[in-house]
Amino acid sequence: MSNDVLETTNGQPSPFFHTTSLTEADSLAILHLKRDSLLPLTLRTAADEGYAEGAVTNTRFGSFPHSTLIGIEWGSQVRASKVDTGSRGRKKKETKEQLGPEGGGGGVPVVAVDDPRTRKKRKSDDDLTASELPAKKLKQGASNGQPPVAARVAVEAGSGFIHVLPPTPETWTASLDHRTQVVYTPDYSYILQRLRVRPGSTIIEAGAGSGSFTHAAARAVFNGYSPSLTNKSKRHGKVYSYEYHEPRVATLCQELSSHGLSNIVHLTHRDVCSSGFALSPEHPPPQADAIFLDLPAPWLALKHLARFTADAPLNPHGPVHLCTFSPCIEQVMSTVSYLRRNAWTEISMCEVQNRRIDVRRERVGLKEEGLRGVNASAATVEEAIDRLREVECKLSDYHSNRAAVEVKGEQKKIQSKAERLEKIKLEAETRKLYMEGNLVQRSEPEVRTHTSYLVFATLPRAWGEEDERGAGEMWGVGEVMGGRDKVAVEGGKKG
Amino acid sequence: MSTVHSHIRPNAYLFLRLPSDLLKLIEIKPNTIIDTGKLGSFPSNLLLGRPYYYKYEILDKTESEAYSRLRIVPPSELNAEILTEDATPSESRGDPATPTVNGVPEAYDLVGEDGTVVMKNNRLTIDDASRQALSQQEIEELKKSSGGKEIIEKILANHAGLEEKTTFSKAKYTLRKTKKYLKRFTVLPMDMGNLIDYVMVKEAPRIMEMTEESLGLVTAWSNAHYSGCDGIVEKADELCAGGGRWLVIDDTGGLVVAALAERMDLLFRDPEEAQDSADQVNGTATSNRALETFALEVESAQPGANGGLAENGQETTDTPTKATSHLDFPIPARTDTITLLHPAVQPNVSLLKYFGYDTNQPDPLHPLHTHLSTLSWLQLLQPESDVTYREPEHTADHILRTWKSGKRGTYWKKRRRWERCKAIVDDARRGEFDGLVLASNMDPTSILPHTIPLIRGGGHVVIFSPTPEPLVKVMDLYSKERRAAYINHISKEEIPDPVDFPVDPRMLLAPTLQTSRAKEWQVLPGRTHPMMTSRGGAEGYVFTARKVVPLEGGVMAKGNYAGKKRKAVEAVEGGAEG
Ligand SMILES: C[S@@+](CC[C@H](N)C(=O)[O-])C[C@H]1O[C@@H](n2cnc3c(N)ncnc32)[C@H](O)[C@@H]1O
Repeated sequence: MSNDVLETTNGQPSPFFHTTSLTEADSLAILHLKRDSLLPLTLRTAADEGYAEGAVTNTRFGSFPHSTLIGIEWGSQVRASKVDTGSRGRKKKETKEQLGPEGGGGGVPVVAVDDPRTRKKRKSDDDLTASELPAKKLKQGASNGQPPVAARVAVEAGSGFIHVLPPTPETWTASLDHRTQVVYTPDYSYILQRLRVRPGSTIIEAGAGSGSFTHAAARAVFNGYSPSLTNKSKRHGKVYSYEYHEPRVATLCQELSSHGLSNIVHLTHRDVCSSGFALSPEHPPPQADAIFLDLPAPWLALKHLARFTADAPLNPHGPVHLCTFSPCIEQVMSTVSYLRRNAWTEISMCEVQNRRIDVRRERVGLKEEGLRGVNASAATVEEAIDRLREVECKLSDYHSNRAAVEVKGEQKKIQSKAERLEKIKLEAETRKLYMEGNLVQRSEPEVRTHTSYLVFATLPRAWGEEDERGAGEMWGVGEVMGGRDKVAVEGGKKG
Repeated sequence: MSTVHSHIRPNAYLFLRLPSDLLKLIEIKPNTIIDTGKLGSFPSNLLLGRPYYYKYEILDKTESEAYSRLRIVPPSELNAEILTEDATPSESRGDPATPTVNGVPEAYDLVGEDGTVVMKNNRLTIDDASRQALSQQEIEELKKSSGGKEIIEKILANHAGLEEKTTFSKAKYTLRKTKKYLKRFTVLPMDMGNLIDYVMVKEAPRIMEMTEESLGLVTAWSNAHYSGCDGIVEKADELCAGGGRWLVIDDTGGLVVAALAERMDLLFRDPEEAQDSADQVNGTATSNRALETFALEVESAQPGANGGLAENGQETTDTPTKATSHLDFPIPARTDTITLLHPAVQPNVSLLKYFGYDTNQPDPLHPLHTHLSTLSWLQLLQPESDVTYREPEHTADHILRTWKSGKRGTYWKKRRRWERCKAIVDDARRGEFDGLVLASNMDPTSILPHTIPLIRGGGHVVIFSPTPEPLVKVMDLYSKERRAAYINHISKEEIPDPVDFPVDPRMLLAPTLQTSRAKEWQVLPGRTHPMMTSRGGAEGYVFTARKVVPLEGGVMAKGNYAGKKRKAVEAVEGGAEG
């Protein structure tokens, strides 16, 4: 597998770069189950698990036949369906995501919304087919090569739901099963920004790991697929990605190809510290404008990223920007020391500190007593005083004038605690709780305080005497310097 | 082949980083003199064609020449000044003695086992300005008479305490003096990072104090990327019809537009083309004018001929058969576009001029010329009340022919302005944008009801604010509790009160508020620690969410609602979103 050029030309635009008008079969979609719980999925028309409904994905929020996910508007909220496991049952899939409806996705409690679609399920399947889902049904039937009756139309389960989203590097990163540590959005967004990676740039990345950074880099460099179709001078953006762990290479390679990114990402199975970045003889060197190193000893890889080696992988016509990503300060020091000795400039280091912020309404006050998620102590001095007086009054009544209280007890509104709580609870139902209390913000419960140190540096293009002479001839200064040098004046004019 | 910043090109904007670390913005014109202020001046031609990111030293002027020449300082020379890695004892608490192997500290022991000082430190040096034997006046004299290096050597030689100083602080002292007296500067290209650094020091509010880390978050979460159709053989038509349109509201003087344009491959003119036109040294002003008259001529000859982008503006003058993109009112592109919504009559995108896009001096070859569309709030929400949107009177061809060319020109110009305006407004009102990016001083809660409906399902919503408060309000409008209450209302066939629900809380998925700060470290050999001070001010907050299509909406679109209920829901949608 070493040095292999992993390219496919299936002609399909990447779902990461082109969002079709509706969701389509055989394309990647991201199921948003709930916050931070995303499931990447290739939508299929054909069944391989023996469900009567065709391909089905089971989640914590219920089962979703792909027929309910294909051909709908992106971003649609989709209700779970009752599925018929058919004769073969569902042995394998069940282990990963447990079935069992629990309230619903998206964090919204499933309010008893009177949805006509739920109402419909009470009608016969035939009704549904005729009025609501002809397109889906047809599609399914056609691709299976079976009469449309073969795959059963999904029946909504009435509980959980998910949202179907078009994939992006952000959602892909959030949905990754962690084969390795990955670079997350706060870091990679800043890194790509600082590395000046633009459409048409070439970036070298090692190690590719789980491919989180790879996807973000691919989006950043993308400026079209096939060089042959556009004007000759246009440079096409490329990500040259290296990884020495063979199974990771295989997985990522497969993912890139199913994501339509094989033409943009060139993945190589290689130990870059020992073998560098040169490609197979028939492939020209990468000519990188930017480098991202996420491996334990970046300074060892940097040896192969110099200007004057035989097949230098750097763009000779421009500056090269570098970022190394290391968790430990010792790695930073070794890297920086190497950079200083090897003509890199603009050396700097930082760490990105990102926080997500919780926003909520905090309700404080005696009227909140017994309600959930509140602070039921007095909200103001006045409230405190009132309550104290009430207690005081109760006590003195109790001691001095017990009989009198008994007589006109109701007027004196001596309420039992249970009564009070009941009243508060009733009142709460008519209150607009979502608009009450103090609107406050705080960091989310868990904060990533350290990801890695980011070392940045720049390697200017090489500049020799010849270059200087060339520039001098092009941009003469004879005239400004005193007009002696006639030739230079001409040069200046011509510019 | 060519790289935007491969070398310094004529008429480019760029930065000189001076020894004070301040950036100086210059526009480099051929055959002029660049005055750096304190460092002196030199001919611009000495920088043209040269590489970025090098340090240039202004040499002493020779008798026979009118100006100083420049020398490129090799990075090895610069790094040698910093690399004093062998002995680096501490000057203060934070800098332990760190003899290093590859920069990694090996030991921290300053004092030997028997208590004697093994390594010289700064315990005995005295901090006293009088220990510098040269007076300030003498230094000034020296500065006039000789070169920077020489001054430094003299100063060092006259520093009585210098021998007592440790290598480290000597290195530091040298560095300080080097900074002050050497006439060196670094040339940095015009890009987002450097522009932010520059504006942040000068007038941070102009860019809403947006840091590079915030900008990175905004562009990433917006999912802005190139979405042209080249290279897609199949389905090109379908994909190109709707793809790659972003709606932007930008009070950062164009910084956000520039950053998105960069991601969409719209910020820089093709350097090769730029080179071609720049080679005609006489400047673009005259040729632009020529081109404009030409465009007018073509218009009057064949009305309605709004061709695509000319391949080369300069060439069109000689080959009048080619369709040309109008200098004044080009018809906007259909894909890979930015639509900028602005509160005033004209948008403020002045920072774009540093990237060669200037609305006052349009460059038809700049991608933004056709890919950036701007419209005002009035044009979006009440286009009928906007003058430009109203169709100017139509005049028949045979009458036109009798007009003087000037009058005819004005007529076509009016038509073109209207055509462009109509195209932009209608396109914006059609909605289906891939994303909304908002960085505005306006209250986001007044913006969202009008803009969220314009975003397609699965589209991206990103809002930047220097301070958290406005975004906390937005989070609250889309809170779980409010959404549940909203759904409760519609399930009971009630119309949610637009005062309580300025927006339909179901329309955004996973609203998230975050903030990023890049904490800078000092990485001098053996002295690695966080910076002692850094910029204060606004932290910078970013709100992100995805536009979604709630279940009921989908049903309604299919027309499955019974009469009464349908009306209720429509009214809700209208009230909450429209
Ligand atoms: C932390 S992971 C990279 C994660 C990746 N940046 C992402 O965002 O998903 C580091 C990867 O570098 C690989 N690696 C380490 N040393 C390497 C080397 N010398 N050559 C190639 N790959 C290497 C490891 O196998 C591992 O997969």
